[in-house]
Order: sequence, then C-alpha cells, then structure tokens
Amino acid sequence: MIALNCPNCGAEIVFSTPALPVKVCDHCRTIVVRRGQSAENVGTVAELPFDVSPLKIGTRGEWAGEGFEIVGRVRWSWEDGAWNEWFLTLQGGGTRWLGEAMGQLMVTEERSPDDVDPILELLAQGKDIVIGQEALIYGVRYRLVDQRTARCVSSEGELPFTAPTGWTVFSADFRSGQGDFASLQRDGRECRLYVGRCVDLAELKPDNLRILPGWEAPTYG
Amino acid sequence: MVDGAGSSIHGITCPACGAALAMRAPGYTVTLVCEYCGSFLDTANPDVRLIARLEEEQQKLEIPLGTRGILRGVEWQAIGYMRRFSNGPTWEEYLLFNPYHGYRWLVGADGSWSFGTMLTANPDAGGTARWQGRTYRLFYGRAKTQVDYVVGEFYWRVHVGETVITMDYVRPGAMLSMEENAAERSWTLNEYLPPGEIKAVFPGVTARGWRLGDTPAPHEPSPFARQFGPWRNIALSAAAVLLVSHCTVGPLGLVGRADLSVVIDKPTVTRSVGPIQLTSPWQGMTVDTSTPAIDQGWTDIDIAFVDRRTQERYEVYSLNEHYYGYDSDGSWSEGNREQTVKVGGVPAGTYDLIVEASAHTWSNTGYNRSGTPVGVTVSVYRGAVFYGNLMLALVLVLLPFLVLWWLQYMFDKARLAEMDHAPAPADWSRGRGTE
Repeated sequence: MIALNCPNCGAEIVFSTPALPVKVCDHCRTIVVRRGQSAENVGTVAELPFDVSPLKIGTRGEWAGEGFEIVGRVRWSWEDGAWNEWFLTLQGGGTRWLGEAMGQLMVTEERSPDDVDPILELLAQGKDIVIGQEALIYGVRYRLVDQRTARCVSSEGELPFTAPTGWTVFSADFRSGQGDFASLQRDGRECRLYVGRCVDLAELKPDNLRILPGWEAPTYG
Repeated sequence: MVDGAGSSIHGITCPACGAALAMRAPGYTVTLVCEYCGSFLDTANPDVRLIARLEEEQQKLEIPLGTRGILRGVEWQAIGYMRRFSNGPTWEEYLLFNPYHGYRWLVGADGSWSFGTMLTANPDAGGTARWQGRTYRLFYGRAKTQVDYVVGEFYWRVHVGETVITMDYVRPGAMLSMEENAAERSWTLNEYLPPGEIKAVFPGVTARGWRLGDTPAPHEPSPFARQFGPWRNIALSAAAVLLVSHCTVGPLGLVGRADLSVVIDKPTVTRSVGPIQLTSPWQGMTVDTSTPAIDQGWTDIDIAFVDRRTQERYEVYSLNEHYYGYDSDGSWSEGNREQTVKVGGVPAGTYDLIVEASAHTWSNTGYNRSGTPVGVTVSVYRGAVFYGNLMLALVLVLLPFLVLWWLQYMFDKARLAEMDHAPAPADWSRGRGTE
C-alpha cells in the first residue's frame, strides 16, 4: 500500500495495489499517475452521472474460487447507451474486468490479440467487418454481435491505465452460443482483447453491494 | 461513490409537456417515452433530448408504470410497456427491473401471461430447439414483429414501427422466443404464469386459464397433466385389486358331483346329490357339465340347488351337443360336449344338488342315434367369476382415467392447432411423464 498526496487538492491518495499505476482522486477527480514515490497530475475526469448499478468500489466477491474486490471503474457511452467496466483485483494478484451493460454482467480477462484470428487482425487494422462474422478466439467459436465507437464518460478508483473523459475507442463485441463473451478495443493503433463469459450477480457471491434506497439488496451466502 | 442520496429514482422534466417524470433505471435507460404526452426522449446523456414530440392520448395500463410486485421470489418494478403485433396476433410486454437482478419481461397475450428472461446463450435451434436438456417445438415460424405502442423507459432505442424477426418454440409450461435484427440475435425464455400467480402479484391484469372449447396459449401446460399420473396410478391399482380379488372368488373347491346315464330319446333321468354346505353369506357356484359320448345330438341338463330348509331353488341350464359331417369343404364338427355355467347369489345354507338330464337326436337325419346311452357328469364348485361383471367393474374403475386421457388429448390438440406447421400425429403424449 502506497499513500501519496493528490498533486491537485492535496488529499491523501492510497494505492492499495502496487501494480496499478493510475488512481482517480476521490475528492477532486484528478487522474493521478504514480511514478515511483511521486504523483503526477495528468488531467481531470467528469463527474459520474447517477446510475443504479448494484456495484461499487469496495464490492467484494468470488470469481472461479478466488476472492476479488472492485477497485476501479470506467464508464463508457455511445450514441445509444452507456455501460460500466468495473476493474477487479483477485486475491492471487490477477485482475479482471466486470462489464455491466443492459442489466447483464460479464467477467473478462485481458489476453493477447495477436495471432488469434484473422478477423481480429482486420478489426485491429480498422477494417469494416459485417455483424455475424465468425471468429475463433482461444478455442471458442464466436460471432461478431456488435461494434461501435465508445466515449469514456468518466472513471474512478484504481486502474491499469488512464481513462480520461472524452477518450474515444472502437469496440467490437463477440458472443458464442454458450454465454462466452469477447471484446476487442482499438485506440488508434493499439488493440486490447478481453475474453470471458456472461455471469449473473449471484454467481459472484458479492458482498458489500451498493445500497440503493427503495430496494432490498440480496444477500448471497 | 454516489450512493444514491436517499433515492434510486432520477427525476427529469419532459421537454415537450413539462411533466415531471421518474427515471427508475438511470444509467441504463436510453429511451423514455413520456407517460403524459407520449413524446420520445433520449436519456442516454444527462441533458435529456427530445427525439419525437407527440401529443397522443395515453392508454391506461393494467399495470401502471412504477408498480412493484414479487414474482418468483424477487421484487420487480414495471418500468416500460410496449404493444407488439405480428401478422395477426397482438400482445403486450411490460419491462420489469430490479437493479440487483437486471431486467425481465412480463408478456401477456389473450389473458395468458409469461415471465421472460433473456438468455446469455443461444439454444441449438432448427425444427425444434433444445435448452437446458429440454426440447421445444417450433410453433410460430419466422415472422415480422412490429412495435405498435410504447411508453416508459427502455435500455435501447425503442420506437414505434421498430421491426424484428421473431420465431417461437414451445413446450408445455414455457416458450423459447428468438428475436433478431440486422445487428443482433437474442433468445428469451418465457415461463408460463398460471392466472392465479400473476393475479396475486398484479391484481389489475386480465388473466384467465383454459376452459373447454377455448384455444390454450401455445405453451400453456395442460390442466390435466398434473392429475394424469395420480389418476393413472389410482385406476391401475384399483384394476389390480379387482383382478386379484377375483382370483379369491373363483371356483375354489369341488363340493359335489353327480354321474348320470341317459339314453337318447328315452325319458329324463333325475339324480339328487347332497347335502352341500354353503357357509359364505352369498356365493356364486360354478357347474361343469360333461357328456363325452354325445354325437349327432344334444343333452338338456337342468341343474338346481335346492335349500333344504326353505325349498328355495337356484337353477341353471346346460346344453351339451356335438355334430359332425362332410361337405364340399371337407369334414366339419360343431357343438360342445363340455360346458361351464354359473349361478350367482346363492345364500348360505344346506343344499341338495338336483340334476335332470335327457338326450335327443334329430330323427330325420341319416345319423339317428336313438337308443344310444350317454354318460353325464356334473361337477359343482363353490365360487364363480362372472367375467361380464368383472369387465364392467374394470371399465368403471378406469373410466375417470380414460376421460382425463381424452381431455388431455383434446387440450393438446387445441393447443397445437394454431401452430404454423401441422402437428405431428400422436406426438402430444411424448415427454408428458417428465413434466
């Protein structure tokens, strides 16, 4: 655990995960990048709009038998909607993303997009691919179900990269017939691939869910 | 971390009519249709934008938006409503929301309701579809489905006239529905909600179950299916008991025997045998008669059980005969030299068995056996099985089950009658046992 002071407002910023270089200041929403023992101000994110997500930073749970905690979030929007990408750290040191869109959840892990499938290469090069196109990604047959340009609304907490408001990426989603999910995100020439599957909240055995007034939070033993 | 300061509702103002609107799924909702003026609002961004200004008279919904109810163990709030149609049938869909459980659908058509959950996987589908080990039959083939009326909030850009291709597969109790447009294909499992269940949660809805003569919902479970098994077991057990009990009343023991010798065309011979003690309050009696020597003629045998005390008579008659000959088809023979006859309802008492026998032949045939002696043996057994009565009892015992079987057959015939494809004959009974 490393504690520094926000270069903008002076509030204490705690990096609970030494491997993560970025944290958004809880007080002034300054994006702080840690370089050794110094904190660098690289910009500000917008205020997160109100939503009724059941998750929050600090929600804990279990994924594949390993405990996790939510430490960060990026909120994305596109012309017809918005979604959250929650960033999880696993007890064993790994990380996952927990996507939350249209009331559905998916857990994904970052994987290399290189030499996986020619479709991914074409998407990485910015080529147009028709919806429904098949791709074989790490042994699973997927179909391209959705592609869009998304804009970062805001971000909070600890993250593996900076996610400033207005950051624009191209995102392509794949689904298999069995609940597997994969997403390719392209930012200029850089590509990231996330591979995983759909889950429901109960499966994650979450604890410390966000309290939403007027709704009874479920408890998962 | 905004923990929703006191409320999970986000209030907005309709830019068209100025009404105060409650957004119940902020962060997810991208389209909100004003409950007051019907205008379409873009709520994907904090600054609400008017997509289409409308001034339509708003329908009164059976479930007013904002209504909550606990369905299948989870509290849901109705937040959106749309009416859709597809070459003929019109149905309505309420979008239900719970921030911890996501979205569900409440689908109503002709008073029958279903609880819909969107699947995250695609079932294997063709002429039938398989999902979680169960088979669903194609009911409505590919059809264009259009949105007709919409109000409330939605997580996608809904608009009147929006068209998708739909396909529906059914099994008793559930419908598996596919929906696709150019960009996406999704599947929803619609579980049938019995009228009592939906009425208990949302009393305002029109919900009705099947009545004789109605067309059931395509996935409505047969009201007889649940009774089918128990009734079958009752009927089969009763039939088994009936059959077993008849083994215990069957001919149980020889109680008397009379041997007579009669001569063809000579006077009647009478023989009395007794006493025969009958101890059960009531019993049937089985009488075997045998005339091994009768040929080209017949024997009349009158048998009577006579109560020594009351002189009450219980009578039965046996005709034993045998003929044979040759014709263009070869040799032939007919008639029975041995008969079994029964007397029912003989009360307890001491009886004499009185047998009167005479033998006859046809005098105008070439086979006149006049004067031939014929031995007659009459054996009497206590107990008798009346097969006609047994059959009647079996029919009565099985009748409720047979009626149920017929009702279920008629129900499934009616259920599948609206199917796009002709139902396969007799398929109705398959898979019933696994309900």
